[in-house]
Amino acid sequence: MQLVAAELVESREILPGQWLQAFHAPALTVGSRAGQFVHIRPGDFSGLILRRPFSFNTVDRTTGVITIHFRAVGRGTAWFTRLRPGDRVDMLGPLGRPFEVDPRSRHLLLIAGGLGIAGVRMLVDDALRAGREVTLLFGAASAVEVYPSNLLPDEVEYVVATDDGSLGHSGYVTDLVPAYEAWADQAFACGPAPMLATLARLAAGRSARLGVARLGPKPGRGAGRSGGAARAALPGSPAARRKSFLQVSMEQNMGCAVGACLGCVVMDTSGVPQRVCREGPVFASDELDWEGGW
Amino acid sequence: MIGPAAVDLSLELPRGLRLDNPILVASGTFGYGVEYSEVVDIQRLGAICCKGTTLHARVGNRPPRVTETPAGMLNSIGLQNPGVDAVVRKYGPTWQGWHVPVIVNVAGESIDDYVEVAKRLDGVPGVAGIELNISCPNVGKGGLQFAIDAEAAGAVTAAVRRATELPLLVKLSPNVADIRPIARAIEAAGADAISAINTLSGIAVAPGRRRPLLGNVYGGLSGPAIKPVALRIVYEVAQVVDIPIIAIGGVAELGDVLDYLAVGAVAVQVGTVLFADPTLPVRLIDELADECRRLGLDSYLPLVGTALPKRSSPRSASSAKGVEYRP
Ligand SMILES: Cc1cc2nc3c(=O)[nH]c(=O)nc-3n(C[C@H](O)[C@H](O)[C@H](O)COP(=O)(O)O)c2cc1C
Ligand code: FES
Repeated sequence: MQLVAAELVESREILPGQWLQAFHAPALTVGSRAGQFVHIRPGDFSGLILRRPFSFNTVDRTTGVITIHFRAVGRGTAWFTRLRPGDRVDMLGPLGRPFEVDPRSRHLLLIAGGLGIAGVRMLVDDALRAGREVTLLFGAASAVEVYPSNLLPDEVEYVVATDDGSLGHSGYVTDLVPAYEAWADQAFACGPAPMLATLARLAAGRSARLGVARLGPKPGRGAGRSGGAARAALPGSPAARRKSFLQVSMEQNMGCAVGACLGCVVMDTSGVPQRVCREGPVFASDELDWEGGW
Repeated sequence: MIGPAAVDLSLELPRGLRLDNPILVASGTFGYGVEYSEVVDIQRLGAICCKGTTLHARVGNRPPRVTETPAGMLNSIGLQNPGVDAVVRKYGPTWQGWHVPVIVNVAGESIDDYVEVAKRLDGVPGVAGIELNISCPNVGKGGLQFAIDAEAAGAVTAAVRRATELPLLVKLSPNVADIRPIARAIEAAGADAISAINTLSGIAVAPGRRRPLLGNVYGGLSGPAIKPVALRIVYEVAQVVDIPIIAIGGVAELGDVLDYLAVGAVAVQVGTVLFADPTLPVRLIDELADECRRLGLDSYLPLVGTALPKRSSPRSASSAKGVEYRP
């Protein structure tokens, strides 16, 4: 974790209201992993008091450039859209815990809802570089919000769903998942909470049906977490994530992003708050309480 | 290099609580001191006030727990903490090895709770003092906060005072009609210092406008937005008590520190602004030393109380209790 002054090198609106920004921040490209994030400080002249968290969208170690992808929804994100090349911002990172890909995994299923693409985008690059096969299922409300395929490597199988049927499958992206259930060794998702909750239910069902047989069985392990599994893999541990079929990248409002304020929690299955900035943002789907309604 | 060595920023608080400088970090915004240590030279801080600590573990409130507001934020953490014994076990040994004093912020729901926590902190190596967060519902008084009732505030202070030899700070809530009787009661009950202020009660509305945003509905407002309120409270309290006052509320730059000193505080705590600017407190230490040098002072204490109304007669006897914190 370090504080760096990052220089904006490029900023463009890739979809209506959605921005892709590239920053020169060599120090942050070293050791950063897919699933981690940076906490960026908006200028302090506008009364904005909190930093904004952004997933590493892409990280290029040779050029020292990282990108972020966001929707301009509030005053904070609007501030970022007014940055011009050469402007510097204060970044704190890398933060949080990354996705854990099991070394034995060949087939990765990535599921993104809307802006959630920013949470899994870097994993696409990492997985391909490691010689894995990647299928990316992407869901949006309609065609105008679909992530442009030219921003993805050719090797990815890219499957789109839109709520209004204007492009690809008509319906939710989660409808597409069962078709890939047997193919995938592991799944990784980021998006709206209801989408993640549905995926978590599907993943629990898959575990019950298939186990995680391909990657080493977990005897007697059903949808819930057995005592043995809990002991072997504490919530938030890399092992807990690696062993779970589905890993999810969570979002929550943040204060500090370093684990100090306890502002960013989500609840785990035993009712214990887990910090998205510290134990997360990536969790094993079976660690979290999806029914709590929080 | 123009080092702070030429200017003495140290501060002697009662019961031997000696701070290298008057820039502290506020409870709940700096965890247990360890979280920010990769990016902040924490040993330079005047002191660290740790997260609110209760007798038993608390899971805290439902999320969402924080949201930004104009020049501030609302939080409703709900005092999530592992309980005093776990805090002592987990962090005590680390704190003991630190140069920077750690002040444990204590919360409770009854006087007995506060007393028991204080007893368990008393004599623990690495614990330099206690700060009572009395903005908690008093179960014994139908959930009325200790902080809004002079009698209850005095009673909890007196009980904790009897339970520990540790330096005792009591933290005021701004959510009261008149702060002065409360501050007087706390002083009379034996507090060594007053910290002011805690957050202001507030709410926010969720996107879609069908419910309040915070999981707990109510939250505490902090940040630069509350500075005028905190200044007013320090100004009022400074005129009715003789014990030292540590100001808290939206400190974001040296000017804020100087303002708080001017209305009678001897030190400040930095809270919310840390989230945006973790290195701010350490910078403020250097900037305060530079400011003293510019003014030709070898201590910052002459800056304390300059904006307070002149007192007609010196409050002689009582000032012996504290330190020389007022010109
Ligand atoms: C996230 C958060 C958590 C806090 N937790 C505590 C706490 O546990 N105990 C306490 O006495 N004050 C707590 N506070 C209040 C701060 O210590 C401080 O009094 C207040 O935020 C005003 O200062 P600021 O404007 O510099 O933040 C908390 C504040 C924030 C923002
Ligand atoms: S944002 Fe402060 S603990 Fe996560």
